[in-house]
Amino acid sequence: MSILTAISNKITSVPVLWRRFTITGLSALPAIYILQLVVRIQTGEWDLLGPEPGKALVWLTGTWAFNFLLIALAVTPLYRLLNQRWVLVHRRMVGLWAFLYTSLHALAYATFLLQWQWADITSEIVKRPYLLLGTGAWMILLALALTSTRWAQKSLGKRWKTLHKLVYFAALLASVHYLLQIRAGWFEPVLYTVLTLVVLLVRNRRFEGFWKKSDKM
Amino acid sequence: MIIQQRKANDILPSEITPKSTYLNRRKFMTGALTSAAALATSPVLAIQSAEGKPALSSPNELQKQILAASETAWGKDETLSPYSAVTQYNNFYEFGTGKTDPSRYADDFKTDGWKVEIGGECEVKGQFTLEDILKPMDLEERIYRLRCVEAWSMVIPWVGFPLAELLKRFKPLSSAKYVEFTTIEDPKQMPGQRSVFSTIDWPYKEGLRMDEAMHPLTLMAVGLYGEILPNQNGAPLRLVVPWKYGFKSIKSIVAIRFVEEVPSTTWNDLAPQEYGFYANVNPKVDHPRWSQASERRLPNGLFSANRIPTQMFNGYASEVEGLYSEMDLRRFY
Repeated sequence: MSILTAISNKITSVPVLWRRFTITGLSALPAIYILQLVVRIQTGEWDLLGPEPGKALVWLTGTWAFNFLLIALAVTPLYRLLNQRWVLVHRRMVGLWAFLYTSLHALAYATFLLQWQWADITSEIVKRPYLLLGTGAWMILLALALTSTRWAQKSLGKRWKTLHKLVYFAALLASVHYLLQIRAGWFEPVLYTVLTLVVLLVRNRRFEGFWKKSDKM
Repeated sequence: MIIQQRKANDILPSEITPKSTYLNRRKFMTGALTSAAALATSPVLAIQSAEGKPALSSPNELQKQILAASETAWGKDETLSPYSAVTQYNNFYEFGTGKTDPSRYADDFKTDGWKVEIGGECEVKGQFTLEDILKPMDLEERIYRLRCVEAWSMVIPWVGFPLAELLKRFKPLSSAKYVEFTTIEDPKQMPGQRSVFSTIDWPYKEGLRMDEAMHPLTLMAVGLYGEILPNQNGAPLRLVVPWKYGFKSIKSIVAIRFVEEVPSTTWNDLAPQEYGFYANVNPKVDHPRWSQASERRLPNGLFSANRIPTQMFNGYASEVEGLYSEMDLRRFY
């Protein structure tokens, strides 16, 4: 704990703008990596990701969407652990990255797998209920991204916090969305579900009282 | 004016191995091998058994037999899936659940001294080496469509022999109603069998009804693309049943049993509501979690999913529909 506090103190002394630049830079890395894959596949290396590159990219963007969702959900528990406000300052930004990667995932699905054939989507959704769950999670994140401004926060007042608690519901939807696609390799979907549950439990049970008293965001 | 533009990800004809190229390579290799055999009084080739047949069979022998395979009319009009796709995108859970796991982890898989145990309702039983099995066989090349239950498909030039030719040699009894096949179980060599995350009860098992097994379309393959079957594709001996979903085409076979009752099979045991015993390709019967009405012919590109309608019995209806004329295929999926 003392090491953590020491590191945290160091970070606090870094100007907030620099911290924002660092977080932006790090968060953009997976997107840049994915973008260069697309460019390379389109410029000759057609089997870079195997014979089904679209599907591979949908899985890759989905994994990063879930990673960022978990990171965003871990911000508040981390803040509690360290009890330093700098952590909370960056929560919105990490949340917006989670929304961005989720949108990239949806875009990759619509473009590479659905090929924008919206006529197919009705049968796709009936056959694949996980699509509905994924779409639900994305729509929640969209609503949260749209209301992430200070102005929205002020004008929504108390309702803002209630609305933004929907992020937990989004995470649960994402877990089931992943679990429903298991064929035999269940390790990763189960790992992500367990991580989601851990974050939810840490936040909602053990620290509930603490949360109600101290969080003024 | 219509300007036709090639989409960047469209597969150029030049990127697909033309058949003539690999056939030429086969001819070249046949030549190379025969001349090598003629020049060298090779100790291996010189060892002859009492019947005047080679007592030892090396991969060279197998390669020679594969190169001598006769061409057939099957799939002549199809565009082959490239070798890299066929050999680097596999479902072979013994080596891992990822599509690239088999090509990554099957390199050191040992197939020398391969034996197949024959048993059950037949007159001729016992252990047979791969050489025993292959000795009297004339190999042929057949280009078959392979439709995976996951709704993707490829076109693969197999080299093998009709399963019926092999089964007849064991003189099945009239009580033999089904044939059960078993894949090797060797956790030391197969990381997927060691994995604690696997839900499969090893060894992998598959089965066919006797008439399906004896059908002339049912192939036992030992090679693909004019070469010895790569390990990740089920070396040294695998089944190919082109009108059924790919999981029926069991790989790396070590046992064949003739049985009276429907044998239990791996995917059917694991999720009976998703994978039937018959598993005939059928666009009208969907998997509970996805549609089987169409398939993605691989390789595809980012902006061209290459989705084509799935055909009844994977396009082999005229050959096999007679096998199922009395059956409700919705019930026996």
